[in-house]
Amino acid sequence: MSAEGFLRVEDVVVGYGQLDILKNLSLSIRKGEFVALLGSSGCGKTTLLRTIAGFNKPKSGSILVNGRDVTQQPPDKRGMALVFQSYALWPHMTVAQNIGYGLKLRGMGRAEIASRVEELQILLGLAGLGQRKPAALSGGQRQRVALGRALAIDPEILLLDEPLSNLDARIRLKVRHDISALQKRLGITAIHVTHDREEAMVMADRIVIMDAGNIAQQGTPEEVFNRPASPFVAAFMGAENVVALNGRAGGGKVRIEPSAINAEADLPLNGRTLVDGAYEARFRAEGAQLLADDGTTRPAGDALDLIGRVEAASYPGGTWRHSVRVGDDVLLVDAPHAFGQGEAVRVRIPAENLFIFNSQGRMPGRPQQGSLNEGGAARVLEASHA
Amino acid sequence: MTNDTPNRILGLLLVLPALAVIVLLFVVPLASSVVGAFRVNGGFGFGNFIKSYELYTSDIIFTVVIVSLSTLLIGIFSIAIGGYLVLGENPRAVAILRWLYRWPLFIPFIVVGQVLRTFLAKNGLMNNILIEVGLITPLQATSFLDWRGIVIAFVWKQTPFVALLVSGAMAALDRSTIEAARNLGASRLRILIEIVVPQVATTLMVGLVLSFVTMMSVLSVPLMINAQSPTMITADIAFRINAYGDYGVANALGLISLVASGCVGWFYLRQTLRERA
Repeated sequence: MSAEGFLRVEDVVVGYGQLDILKNLSLSIRKGEFVALLGSSGCGKTTLLRTIAGFNKPKSGSILVNGRDVTQQPPDKRGMALVFQSYALWPHMTVAQNIGYGLKLRGMGRAEIASRVEELQILLGLAGLGQRKPAALSGGQRQRVALGRALAIDPEILLLDEPLSNLDARIRLKVRHDISALQKRLGITAIHVTHDREEAMVMADRIVIMDAGNIAQQGTPEEVFNRPASPFVAAFMGAENVVALNGRAGGGKVRIEPSAINAEADLPLNGRTLVDGAYEARFRAEGAQLLADDGTTRPAGDALDLIGRVEAASYPGGTWRHSVRVGDDVLLVDAPHAFGQGEAVRVRIPAENLFIFNSQGRMPGRPQQGSLNEGGAARVLEASHA
Repeated sequence: MTNDTPNRILGLLLVLPALAVIVLLFVVPLASSVVGAFRVNGGFGFGNFIKSYELYTSDIIFTVVIVSLSTLLIGIFSIAIGGYLVLGENPRAVAILRWLYRWPLFIPFIVVGQVLRTFLAKNGLMNNILIEVGLITPLQATSFLDWRGIVIAFVWKQTPFVALLVSGAMAALDRSTIEAARNLGASRLRILIEIVVPQVATTLMVGLVLSFVTMMSVLSVPLMINAQSPTMITADIAFRINAYGDYGVANALGLISLVASGCVGWFYLRQTLRERA
């Protein structure tokens, strides 16, 4: 068996009654890889994790671990351990009993369990807490007990269901690094469900972005951040500014036609497949520059200029964030110094920070309210900033 | 200070009706029956208790044993029912059980006694069915209208009450604590015993203590099913009052059942205090 496809999900359909949550989803994960399933609420990421764990039975399709079909196997016969969002620690057992329960079920001797539990407590920084009950632990400690309980049975695959969402922000930043360091050290394969983009970026080797029961895009954090494959992914990865443009593609370039809101521009296609017509362009607040409108018609280098007027500026820290009215849209753009209210400005977006897609059907909605997914249906985006 | 006084009086006035009801209807009768238990021929002494001891020792033991056994069986059955409702994997069976198990709650004790009297008698429905099916011969048929009948009546009537409390508490558990155990390979029985029951132990204890006290005070079932000796304390109390007008011994027997119930309550309180510590 090759390292490629250690865990394979093949054409899985999962649903409740008539409603299908996962629609013919396939995913392949290498041994030792850390994969983040990223998506907004209701996209099916937790359903996928629970299906892999064996708590949901797929209507069709199969799940293979190391070439072995485990689709019909109960959760404990799959070599996986799940860390629950609520930790699901047993309140009537001590820390040591919680961690050791899986070993007790496997019929391991008492002394052996004690030494393994001791080992894990040291590994997880829980030394000396063995006799405490979960109620007497902090959130971060409970989270580590849950992790220890999962790791105790030496699983091949560790499944994490939003394990950090119940921690407060400062602890979360530390635990992120703790978990990914531990995963690397143990060489364990891990799947992590989260709705937090930054968390996925920091922790995972590969990000799988899910939308409405399908995989919208998967790739390294850098790939999905810099080369989103669809408007949905672009929006989810923070490119929430959206403008409508028209243009023609050809000869490795796309020519953006001038309009009331933008200057003419020739931008490299960079492997994108675009056809002539209406485009939806997206960019991040920090991916654009703000310049005073000095009447220059063409920017130097490959960049697009939008023409607008500053409506407001605020200082969230680091840079000034401006809301700029461009045509009917309000865009957010960062700049190192503040522009005055009502000032005429140019929003200059370098080609590499501008994500252009052919518009599908309707014009894109305001980014603050929603975004378009591939099917064109407007859906509310769950904005999450840790 | 001047402002406080009228407020304080108003507060007392508001509490007064409730307080008066408790004092007049509960504290005074209880105190008078406790005092009455020690009143012998105009004076005070242990005469009533000595008489109770001489006449009714076997009934007191009978009562405590029967009620304890019933409590134990109620506990086992309600855990089984609650456990199946929360862990059962056949949705139809779970739905049927959920619909069925509460029925005895709505049937009064006296009706339970009456129903079981016709069902458990020597020539009752149960024996008739067993004979028809061929499991026993007519000669083997025996009446269950003794201590077994009382236990069956109590368990049948009180299990739904405890099961209602226990299954509610089980349903309110964080389901992922059950899934976490399944994930590690625990069987359903182990999950029930090691994960679910310990988490609902307090609710189970409350249900069992309340059931114990209820069963200690039921008069209709022993009268209907088992009026011969030994019988339950409640039947003896009714007999002392109705046949002899002997309130002294009746009060003494009442105090003895109160002490038995109090022991259970004390045991429960000690247990919960220890868990909190």
